[in-house]
This record gives sequence, C-alpha cells and structure tokens, in this order.
Amino acid sequence: MKPLPGCANLGTCARRGKGLGHPAPPMPDLMRRVRDTLQMGLGGPTKTDIVGAPGSIQLRNVTAGYGGAPVLSAFDLHINPGEFVYVVGPSGAGKTTLLRVLFGVVRPKTGWVLVDGIAVHRLQGWQTDTIRRRVGCVFQTYELLPHLTSLENVLLPLQLAHARMRNAKACAVEALELVGLNDKLHEFPGTLSGGQQQRVAVARAIAHQPRVLLADEPTGNVDSQSSAEIMELFGQLNEMGSTVVMATHDEFVLSSFTAREVRLQPKLLKVAS
Amino acid sequence: MSHLANAVWAARYAFNVLAYCVRCWRGRLGAWLATAAAIGGVLSLAAGAELFLVLSERSLSEQVRAASEFQVFLADTAKAEQVDALKGQIAALPGVRRVTYRSKVEALALARHNSTLAAIADNSSGNPFPASLVVDLSDPSAAEQVTTLVTQDPATDRDVPSSYTPAEGRNLSAFLSMAQAVVVGIALAALAVASLVALVLLRSEIRARKAELRILTLVGTPRPVIRLPVLLEAVALAVAGTVVASLTLTFVGDHVVPAVNTYVPFLQLGSATGAVAAIRAATLGSSVLALGACSLFVRLPR
Repeated sequence: MKPLPGCANLGTCARRGKGLGHPAPPMPDLMRRVRDTLQMGLGGPTKTDIVGAPGSIQLRNVTAGYGGAPVLSAFDLHINPGEFVYVVGPSGAGKTTLLRVLFGVVRPKTGWVLVDGIAVHRLQGWQTDTIRRRVGCVFQTYELLPHLTSLENVLLPLQLAHARMRNAKACAVEALELVGLNDKLHEFPGTLSGGQQQRVAVARAIAHQPRVLLADEPTGNVDSQSSAEIMELFGQLNEMGSTVVMATHDEFVLSSFTAREVRLQPKLLKVAS
Repeated sequence: MSHLANAVWAARYAFNVLAYCVRCWRGRLGAWLATAAAIGGVLSLAAGAELFLVLSERSLSEQVRAASEFQVFLADTAKAEQVDALKGQIAALPGVRRVTYRSKVEALALARHNSTLAAIADNSSGNPFPASLVVDLSDPSAAEQVTTLVTQDPATDRDVPSSYTPAEGRNLSAFLSMAQAVVVGIALAALAVASLVALVLLRSEIRARKAELRILTLVGTPRPVIRLPVLLEAVALAVAGTVVASLTLTFVGDHVVPAVNTYVPFLQLGSATGAVAAIRAATLGSSVLALGACSLFVRLPR
C-alpha cells in the first residue's frame, strides 16, 4: 500500500479546497442573519454556533432507535477535531446505530448531533446529502454498486455528489492505488474478494479527503495483513488531520493500534477513555 | 467567463448523470427489455380493445343515424316554390348538414325495397307515400327545431309533419351520447387497467433497484439526481411499450379490421386510420404520464 502523502491529486484537491470537507465560502451577512433567525426560531444550536470546531463531533442527550425501545438513550459524546476514536461494545450495543446517527441515516428522537459543523439532527431526509458530502463513511456491508467497476464505484460519488471537484478520475484512481487495488480498477465487485471489496469501500470514503471519516467494522472481513494495511491508512488520514470514528470489535486492531475507546453496552451506555 | 464555466460544468454534470444512466442499463438490459416487452404487451391489449370499441361505436352510430332518417313529409297540395322556401329555411338551421327533396315516385320505389313497407306499396291502388324533404342532421337533437319550424308550414302534411317527434329525436340523441360515453368510459378503463399493470411492473423494476438507490443516497448523491435515472427509465419503458402497442395497432388496423369488414358484413367498422393515430397518441400520453408520475413518487431511503 502506498503512503498517503504520495497522493498528488488528493493533496492538490485538498489544497485547492475543492473537496466539500473544507470550509465553505463566506456567506453574506444578511443571508447568514436570515438563516440564523430561522434556525433559532426552531430551538437548538444553529450552524453558526458550531462552525468554530470543524472536524469535531458532539452528541448531547441523544436518544435514537428503530421504532421500539431506543438503542441509544440520553447519550453524550464529544470528539475533538483530528481525534481517532474506537467505538467498541458487544453486538446490539448500538455501535452501528451511533455511526448511523452521525451519518444522518437515523434521526435521533431527542438531542443534538453536530458533525463537522453540521447540525445532523435537524436534517430532513432530502437534506442528508449535505452531511454525506462532507463525511466519508465505510460501511460494514461495503455498499458497492454491483454493476459498476471498482473505479466507477469510487468515481461515481465524486462525479454526482462532488460535482465541482476537478480531476475526479485521477483522485479516484489514486484512492484505489492507496488501498492497493491499482490492478483491479476495472473489476466488478462480484469478482473481488471480501477484503478487496472492503478496500474499494475505503477508497470511496477517502477519495474526497473528508475531514471526518466514519468506519463501521472496516476490518471485519479482511485478513490480519489487510487489517493492518487498512488501519495504517486510517492512521495516515488521521495524522493528516481527519477525525476518525471506527466501530470495531476486532481485538487485533484494538491491541495493535491504540486510541481512545468509546465503550457501549446494550441500553446502558458509558464513555471510557 | 464564469457563465461559460458554469455552462461547461452543467454540460459535464449532465453528461456524467447520463453516463451513469447508461451504466445502470448496461447491467440490467435483459431485465429492462423483459419489463418493456411486458408493458408493451399490456398496452397492446388495451389499445387493440380500445380500437375495436371506438370503431364499433362509430359503426353503431352511423347505422342508428341511417335507420333513423329524418324526413319532413310534404302535403300533396304543396307547390314547388313553397317546398323550395321550406327547404331553404330548414337548411339554415344549426345542426342540419343537408336537405334533399324526395318525390312520391322515389318514396314508392324505396318502400318496395323496405321489408316493412313493401306490403303497403304492393297492395295500395295509388301511391300512398308522400313526397318529402330528407334532412341529414349532424346532431339528432336538432330534430326538435326542424319539427317546430315545419309544423305550421303550409307545405307540410298537417297530420304527420315529420318522421319522428322532438321527443323521439331527444331519445335518439341521448342514446348516441350514452353509447359514446360508454365507449369512452370503457376505453379509459382499459387504459387505466393497462397503466396499473404497467405501474406494478415498474414497481417491481424499482424494487430490484432498491439497494442501488440506498447506496446512492448513502454516498451523498443529491436526490433529484437519484430520481433522474428512475424517471428516465420509466419514460423509456412507457415509450418502448407504446412502440410495441403502436406496431400491434398498425397490424390490427391494416389487416384485422379490413378482414372483419370483409367477413362480417353487418359489422362495418370502416377505416381504422384516424382511430389508430388517436389511440396511439392517447396510449403514449397516458403511459408516459402514469409511469413518469409513479417514478417521481418512489420513496427514497433517508
């Protein structure tokens, strides 16, 4: 696997501020006041209140679930910009639910969720692309489109969701090279192993240089060597300033790459540093 | 310069979206063709049934009108100038297409070919059939105005001034309107059923793409961009189905309808050309509207 600084295009995109994970252009004062007035009328923090900590994650009094008993209940969490955090706990503890809340897939019933300057708890279904363009996410089940090649899977979000990004194809190719799949660019997911599919998913998540990276069991289906490579890659992204939140129960990962742990237990949540 | 850059960007973005649509179809061409063929089959059935309904209604209307020929009976004492004046007045009424004079001799000759009147014509010593003005009505309800006009005219027969009364004219008009309404209703029902079946097929097609739609939302694709390929696919299915239905309609109009005209002479369906064009347009419009609208209501995951 190549070292991350070798990714010329990814670096260029980051320096030019083309990736959507970077600060938005200044908004006219009048427009900002109108927006803030509208948001303050609804209660809770506005976007303006939280732009001071780009790359940070804050959850306060969050209750979330899937209709029945809440999986997360009165949950608080603060993650500083550039921090690497593991979310650990047994099955059913709410690791995936927590990441889904951060990614806007599950809307909390109560509480605030602030991710990289976005009040995720306020987002309606049609607004969730706002957070997803800023945050990278690696899913437990890869979520690759079977009728697209590896390159197309990484390229598609850059073309459709990050439409202003230049050199999208070069960035996609280099993201795939970073995860060691430069010889699998034109392979379909069905012809790849589980570990290779996972790497394509990682490449897709990092291709737009997100400031916050979420990963749900990214090493769950790969061998120990691939796990080490993926963790090394996440480590490099973290060293470059990305905040990384990773749900895992992989003891190899936890013992080899130390970081702060947020330990979840079913219906009884506590934060352990 | 920035306008140019925006235009270039928009064109490139549109190209990317269309390229994605093509990639989607590339992987599912077989399933798409099967769905298009199924929708085409359903639309063909509906359009074919509709064609026969429309032609049958048209034939029925013509036959009813022909059987209900409206005549103004003239008095034997009527003079030629009186008849001409009356003919002019009737022709000027709205709903009257043409007025022709039929003499007593012509009326007798026609009666001899009529199964009901032949006995009277043969057994009478003289000619019992009066001269008449045959009024071709574009609208049977205009018979009332004609009857009102001719009742007091000295040129008309005082006892039986016309072949049917205003009430009978209204009934005839009501019958023809009802027949047309029934045909339009059945045609609309056929289209609705066809559209419903097409919607079910589209729904299953979209269900097959559920995972794809979820992934597109997860990677942050704007929702209008996600909906566009679905909309294009629905419209493409509607157009493809209509093409199949059009081919079927053309075959039915060119071969089946003339065969019916030849082998079932009492059911004269006439030429199908105009009806085929109208039904083709209706099928295209309704299927595109129904499937396009349905695709816009597809619920995307959060």
